[in-house]
Amino acid sequence: MENLLEVKNLKVEFFSNKSLVPVIDGATFFIKKDEILVLAGESGSGKTLTALSITKILPNSAIITAGSAKFMGVDLLTMDEKALTDIRGREIAYIFQEPTSYLNPVFTVGIQITEVIMLHQNKNKLDAFNEAKELLSLVKIKDPQRVLSSYPHQLSGGMNQRVFLAMALACKPKLLIADEPTTALDVTIEAQILQLLLDLKKTMGFSLLFITHNLSIAKKIADRICVMCKGKIVEEGSVDKIFDAPEHFHTRELINAYEKIGKL
Amino acid sequence: MILEIKNLTKTFVIERGVFKAEAGLVKALDGVSFSVNEFDTLGIVGESGSGKTTLAKIIINLIPATSGEVVFDNELIKNIRKDVQIVFQNPYNSLNPKMRIAEILSEPLLIHHIVPRPFVKERALELLRLVGLDENVLGRYPIEFSGGQRQRICIARALASQPKFIILDEPISSLDVTIQAQMLDLFLELKQRLRLTYIFVSHNLAVVRHIADSVLVMENGKVVETGSREEIFYSPKHPYTKALLDAARS
Amino acid sequence: MQNKSLNIGILIIGFLTIIAILAPLVSPFDPSVIDQDSLLMPPSLKHFLGTDTLGRDLFSRIVFGARISLGIGLVAVGIATLVGLILGAAAGFYGGRIDGLIMRFVDIMLCFPTFYLILAVAAILGPSIFNIMIIVGLTSWMGVARLVRGEILSLKEREFIQAEKSIGASNLRIIIRHLIPNAIGPVLVSATLGIGGAILLESGLSFLGLGVQPPTPSWGNILIESKSTLGVAWWITVFPGLAILTTILGFNLIAEGLKKKLGG
Repeated sequence: MENLLEVKNLKVEFFSNKSLVPVIDGATFFIKKDEILVLAGESGSGKTLTALSITKILPNSAIITAGSAKFMGVDLLTMDEKALTDIRGREIAYIFQEPTSYLNPVFTVGIQITEVIMLHQNKNKLDAFNEAKELLSLVKIKDPQRVLSSYPHQLSGGMNQRVFLAMALACKPKLLIADEPTTALDVTIEAQILQLLLDLKKTMGFSLLFITHNLSIAKKIADRICVMCKGKIVEEGSVDKIFDAPEHFHTRELINAYEKIGKL
Repeated sequence: MILEIKNLTKTFVIERGVFKAEAGLVKALDGVSFSVNEFDTLGIVGESGSGKTTLAKIIINLIPATSGEVVFDNELIKNIRKDVQIVFQNPYNSLNPKMRIAEILSEPLLIHHIVPRPFVKERALELLRLVGLDENVLGRYPIEFSGGQRQRICIARALASQPKFIILDEPISSLDVTIQAQMLDLFLELKQRLRLTYIFVSHNLAVVRHIADSVLVMENGKVVETGSREEIFYSPKHPYTKALLDAARS
Repeated sequence: MQNKSLNIGILIIGFLTIIAILAPLVSPFDPSVIDQDSLLMPPSLKHFLGTDTLGRDLFSRIVFGARISLGIGLVAVGIATLVGLILGAAAGFYGGRIDGLIMRFVDIMLCFPTFYLILAVAAILGPSIFNIMIIVGLTSWMGVARLVRGEILSLKEREFIQAEKSIGASNLRIIIRHLIPNAIGPVLVSATLGIGGAILLESGLSFLGLGVQPPTPSWGNILIESKSTLGVAWWITVFPGLAILTTILGFNLIAEGLKKKLGG
């Protein structure tokens, strides 16, 4: 199977006190078509930054100093900003941990989704609005009409994550990057959102890069797992390999913790 | 029985407008009763909004209950007590940023006259050792520490007044997973050494199963099920408990 | 880390303070000795800054005036800050009726145009240095009170305050040891700015004859005397004006520097 995304030797550094501090230090990994890759690691390991580097949506103080990220054979890191804008949202879409804070509080959900659709597809407002409704049913929102006319703060965290997911999927991306999308949610809602992601992946056929610190989620959904520690991918392998025969010290540490606090 | 909660209710009034007109009532706790045996750990499980943190704050007397009783050691709890302490969820926010660790730890020692003033520093150091830190910590400010270290300092502060009973309110959920595991070990060790009784509030069922002797499940301010760890995890009766377990296991 | 404005500000104010303290040593003449032979002399080697209508040495008068003006600024602001801190902390911490009462009082005080209020009180109590300090102090605490109340309101919800309560700390202890030290930053900044304001107020009052009474020199009443000789003796207007300007500049620089330092 062909690799959808190949990240090689990615190095990202932060400006701090006039010197560069490496935060991602030679990360290498790949995602195949139709695959779910879980990037696991603790806070500060560089998982989120890795995900953001792929389409160069980085904070101002961060600089990509080496490496490549080939998406369908083309290196995204050398691409100009205009071409990248086309890729973001259309080919590679993101969902994040706190959907409520990523949605604009002064517009209704309907306006925000419609805008995304109009931005990426040449559609008039009415068509876009109808499509927004369809998207919301796609993410299994039962009363799309009500949700469309609500403001983000009127909806629950789980509902907002569904809305955000609908927006991300508006252009049928080939790669969905989900950065701790369920961490802020209750367990029952978390289970629903994970199931939804699996279902949608099956029907829409995207690849999923799922970032989490929670190995029990990794165990549930992953095809493969990359373990990240201090800016490096320290171990990579199938779920069985990672859980049954972890090689790296940090992987063992994570699994040890999982046995205590994640396994039920 | 060291702690008994009888029919606890807490209603928050929502006020609106200049004249603070009553706009509505929110029942955060609705007739909650349970008891905790000495040297046991009671796990309180529930999702956000279930009222677990409100319950914790009422037990410690940080906020008053609307009705009901909290009985500790056969005495009605009316004030903040040195023998009932609490550790909060967010260690990044629980320490005064302008104070050195030595000062933070000396606060409860001085307030409750635990040791005479000249021995305060020595006692603070003992507390730090108890939670796995050393004397280098004393002169530093909270900002210099990681989340796990800060939570250890919070635990040391809670232990300073020599409590018998500690409420752990989501004490590890804002920490990294490997640190969470270490903290659980620390809680178990302290419980053994100091003969403590815990209430462990958490949304994480796996953690509760690891640490609790008995478990109480809350939903929307009500207790839906109580039982021993084995009963709750292997033969849950209430549909909500089952749903929680299913969600976590799926 | 360098903090230019703070350093320059401290340098200016430090210099002025030393001059004020060492006034009898620094000034070449007694500031109130009248010299009939040298009326309205322009700046010269004997009189650096010239003399006034009574032949008094302007430099000596400004140096002694610094004592009065700086003293009034510091004491008045000290009073204002203390009152504002106590009332603001009480309002913020206790809330409810106490808060309502204090803040309505603040509103009432703010309704009066401060300067006319001060004028009225000064006219009733009679002008003296001591009265000026108290009057200026007691009419400029409202900003501090509001500031402190706001800080305390947000601080008291922080978990470390709850933690202090739970270890059994009394309200007074929480306010003094925990809330105020954390709220003091912005108060210091506004107090430093306030010193400049208080000095200006004193000058204004003295200018109108309700401030410091001659022959005691203050920067304000030196300026009054200059108004009749503006056309013939520019130095009597310019130098005390420059002194006020420099002082206010110094305090503003300190305030700005403090803001940067405490904010970052």
